Amino acid sequence: MQVFGPNELAADVLNKDLCIGCGACTQMCPYLKSYKGKTSMLFSCTRQQGRCHAYCPKAEVDLDELSNFLFGKAYEGSPLGSYEKVMISKAGPKMISGNFQAGGTVSALMTRALQKGQIDAAVLTDWKGLFPIPKLVTRPEDVVPCASSKYLTSPTVSMLNKAQELNYKRLGIVGTPCQLTAVAKIRTNPLKREDFKDTVGLTVGLFCTWTLDARNLVKYLSARGDVEKIKKLDIPPPPSEILIVTTADDEIKIPLSEIRPMIPHSCSICPDMTAEWADVSVGVLEGRPGWNTLIIRTEKGAKLIADAEKSGFLITDRMPKESFEHLLTAAGNKKVRAFRQALKEGCINNADNGHAALRVNPAVIKGMRIEPEEDHVGHT
Amino acid sequence: MSAILKGKKGEQRLLMGNEAIARGALEAGVQVVAGYPGTPSSDIIENLSRVAKDRNMYVEWSVNEKVAAEVAAAGSLAGLRSMCTMKMNGVHVASDFLLHLALSGTRGGMVLVACDDPNAHSSQHEGEMRHFAQMLEIPLLEPGNFQDAKDLIKWAYELSEELRSIIFIRSTTRLSHASGQVILNELPQTERKAVFSYNGFILDQMTGSVITLPIFFKHPQLQEKIKKAEQRFESCPFNSYTGPENPEVLILTSSACNLYSIEAVHLLGLQSRVGILKLATTWPLPKGLIRKHLQKVGLVLVVEEVLPFLEENLKVLAYEMASEIGIKRILGKRDGILPGFGEMSPSLVAGALAKITGAKLDQRPEEYEKKVAERVFFGAPARDWTFCPGCPHRATLWSIENVLQMDHRQGFVCGDVGCYTMGLSPINFGTLKTAHAMGSGTGLAGGFGKLEQFGMEQPVFSVCGDSTFFHSGIPALANAVHHGANMIMVILDNSGTAMTGFQPHPGIEKNAMGDIAKAIDIAKVCEAIGAKVRISDPFEVEKTQEILFQLLEEKGTRVLILKQVCALSPEKKGVKKFEMIVDAKRCLGEECGCNRLCTRIFHCPGLVWDKETKKARIDPILCAGCGVCASICPAKAIQKTPATSGKKEAA
Ligand SMILES: Cc1cc2nc3c(=O)[nH]c(=O)nc-3n(C[C@H](O)[C@H](O)[C@H](O)COP(=O)(O)OP(=O)(O)OC[C@H]3O[C@@H](n4cnc5c(N)ncnc54)[C@H](O)[C@@H]3O)c2cc1C
Ligand code: SF4
Ligand code: SF4
Ligand code: SF4
Repeated sequence: MQVFGPNELAADVLNKDLCIGCGACTQMCPYLKSYKGKTSMLFSCTRQQGRCHAYCPKAEVDLDELSNFLFGKAYEGSPLGSYEKVMISKAGPKMISGNFQAGGTVSALMTRALQKGQIDAAVLTDWKGLFPIPKLVTRPEDVVPCASSKYLTSPTVSMLNKAQELNYKRLGIVGTPCQLTAVAKIRTNPLKREDFKDTVGLTVGLFCTWTLDARNLVKYLSARGDVEKIKKLDIPPPPSEILIVTTADDEIKIPLSEIRPMIPHSCSICPDMTAEWADVSVGVLEGRPGWNTLIIRTEKGAKLIADAEKSGFLITDRMPKESFEHLLTAAGNKKVRAFRQALKEGCINNADNGHAALRVNPAVIKGMRIEPEEDHVGHT
Repeated sequence: MSAILKGKKGEQRLLMGNEAIARGALEAGVQVVAGYPGTPSSDIIENLSRVAKDRNMYVEWSVNEKVAAEVAAAGSLAGLRSMCTMKMNGVHVASDFLLHLALSGTRGGMVLVACDDPNAHSSQHEGEMRHFAQMLEIPLLEPGNFQDAKDLIKWAYELSEELRSIIFIRSTTRLSHASGQVILNELPQTERKAVFSYNGFILDQMTGSVITLPIFFKHPQLQEKIKKAEQRFESCPFNSYTGPENPEVLILTSSACNLYSIEAVHLLGLQSRVGILKLATTWPLPKGLIRKHLQKVGLVLVVEEVLPFLEENLKVLAYEMASEIGIKRILGKRDGILPGFGEMSPSLVAGALAKITGAKLDQRPEEYEKKVAERVFFGAPARDWTFCPGCPHRATLWSIENVLQMDHRQGFVCGDVGCYTMGLSPINFGTLKTAHAMGSGTGLAGGFGKLEQFGMEQPVFSVCGDSTFFHSGIPALANAVHHGANMIMVILDNSGTAMTGFQPHPGIEKNAMGDIAKAIDIAKVCEAIGAKVRISDPFEVEKTQEILFQLLEEKGTRVLILKQVCALSPEKKGVKKFEMIVDAKRCLGEECGCNRLCTRIFHCPGLVWDKETKKARIDPILCAGCGVCASICPAKAIQKTPATSGKKEAA
């Protein structure tokens, strides 16, 4: 993996509108800070190499290297990435109820992992007014209050950086594919530091097709009246085509056509829908409300699922065939779209000392037969 | 006793130009003096205020130059001799009133002393003021040496009382701030009683109402005054010629340029070929005197600062006289033999003279010049355009810069006039993006704050010093509040007009003469205008930033007053609030992710990067103990403890 410094991070990511605000570059120095969903470089820093660049999921992400590191094999570009098993799940009877996004699988897994001591703290994402903020949780009962999806840019990884300073040794983190790309990069010890310790004990991924720029949504909502706190965001399955914003006393329905312009540009080059670098990945199961899609990718993930099931925290089931096929298509489409867009923007596999956002075996792209652009990029 | 009071008639003393002007005012029996501080003019009032009690004068630092002119004019209208002082910008501020005063006329002698700053040593421009005399139609005098700087004042008062007009005296930095030998005259004892008469005939200058109307009477009257002034100028003892009877070249000059011209003629040994006509009366030009000298010469070099004011007026006269005296060649700035910007110098004048006369200018050997350039470059210690250690402005701009960057909406700050103008420089974070006249930062911000309608989303700040607030910040704030402009005005209250030397302003409980004065509460003024007001101490970095973040969430015109006394203020000087140390165990040195934030970015001169230990260190002599750097070090290596001695270590 090529690692550069803050100037390159600014030039290649921040100034190119590729920053997704994950926070991976923050909480380590006084120069990069996250505020209300945006990451800013406060002053110029002259370092040649830095963790900021090394950890960024939008700068020099070498997919082969991450795949080799986590799964011991090259990146194939298959729709779902490397996995052991796909099934469906939801929170089991032992789990208290909560404001879950779908089946509550994620909350159940984190509660159980904390309770069993598999992790010593969990990095979750809560609300602060209208903005998502990361939260470090050490008690199992503090997991549920962070439930539900904030379909907004969130500096979740910044808390991982902070937690590492606090000497936690087995951190669990729930994150979107980009956030977990940053976590995977962190774990590869990209700066080859001798005193490096991998403090990440568990990664739970969230499926993601796109997110929304937090500030743009807030601006949109503020223009419609006084909204102080969001309770839930929901995007019901097609063909509804709306985003439902639940506030303390209201339910605001916004057509997706008005929402789409709020999607960060950065999502258009994101090839990962199912959080391929996680131990387990969780999504919403379409067609069966209250259930999640669950992908088990690692041995650690498999063990956690088995234990959660056995202890009554999780209920699983087989995945219906048509759901699985639908999942494959959606994830595959996102990948093709992203690589095509990255090619178009010239931020993939840049040669001759060029700086790339993504690096992938050219054969993988070739195998995808990415046609030259003609269909417009649509988000589903 | 103050220096300018010392000395009897006939005694010779070394006086700074501004001291000479002040002494001249005393010798003329001035009773009322008002001004607004501004380099290079401030020392005139500084000197006069110190002797105000001894000489039974009234001296004030006014809220701005226009008010200063008005206060001085009141003295004149009550029959007293009065003076107002300002730097060049001030004339623009005062000009509206002066335009009227020129027409209405004065009674007791009144003199306006305005000091130009060619090369902008202490200014943000070098705009010159002499054209105002022409625009306002008032006589203009320029002292050409230190003796004149004193003696011309008394002459000006006599002329003022003869014409019943204000007289404009113009000085420049090199005259005001350099020193020369001056022979003193006596200080008069007569004191006039102040009475304002108004019951006479309306058109009677001394007893009627003082107004500019009717124009058909007053304007011709004003032009009669100018004609009379011109007649008096013909025999003005401060106009003088030195040189051969029939020079090859005549230098026409005024002010400090007279001194440069003398030096240049000597430098080239041209005393027998070049004559110098030093003019103290530069508008209107005395036609007879000019004719007398032009007749004898074919070529004139006009030496002046900054614009070709004399040159152009001379050319008009020369054209009018051409049929009698023939066509003359007049060189100066318009043909480019001398630059139309910056200061003059003996070598510039000598260069022009050498070109004209063919005289050999003894250039310094090339080798020598090269060596000098090298020595200057490598030998002279580099000086950054930075704030003093413990300066509240550094802390203020640091907080604003951090907050604006994190806010990420391309917010910006409109700057104003004061030490904080240095916030334009990258070394002070480059936080300020505009800088113009006094109070203009807030005026601009108020304008930007109304552009939402056209899609402007950037947050807008202005910064404004406490003295600037009273000078012209208030109308700008009132305008912003009244029109609901979206902006944040940050008032940098460092308790004095720090940049020009701690002159008091209406927010201070003391006036120019050291008497107790009513202090006006800035916060209350802002609140009364209708702005939401927050107050913080810029040294409390976290709290200040939190307030700034809150303010950014709000709409309308918001005010944040950041109160902290200037690091150099007499009340603070030498007293450290905190003992500072850098804990060498905590400072990670060059390994730290902060990349020397303290010395590379924050840049307080009290912090140094130790080249040997490769860690930060406090310079105990420079550090003012403000404690701010403790809150910027991410490793918490910079530590503060309340100072016990309270005294700055002796240098
Ligand atoms: C931006 C975003 C886009 C998504 N897009 C899709 C999609 O296209 N298709 C799909 O099937 N599923 C998507 N999901 C996942 C889905 O919404 C649910 O999070 C997932 O199915 C888990 O449901 P659950 O009931 O188990 O979650 P819960 O038990 O309610 O737990 C949700 C967890 O997500 C974490 N979280 C919430 N918001 C964020 C955030 N912004 N960043 C990091 N962590 C967060 C919380 O800490 C909480 O632990 C998306 C999620 C997010 C955050
Ligand atoms: S690490 Fe995350 S927050 Fe930082 S620049 Fe990259 S995408 Fe943005
Ligand atoms: S689409 Fe990709 S980049 Fe965008 S939020 Fe989702 S995971 Fe992150
Ligand atoms: S305490 Fe720190 S910021 Fe203040 S003067 Fe000393 S070195 Fe400078």
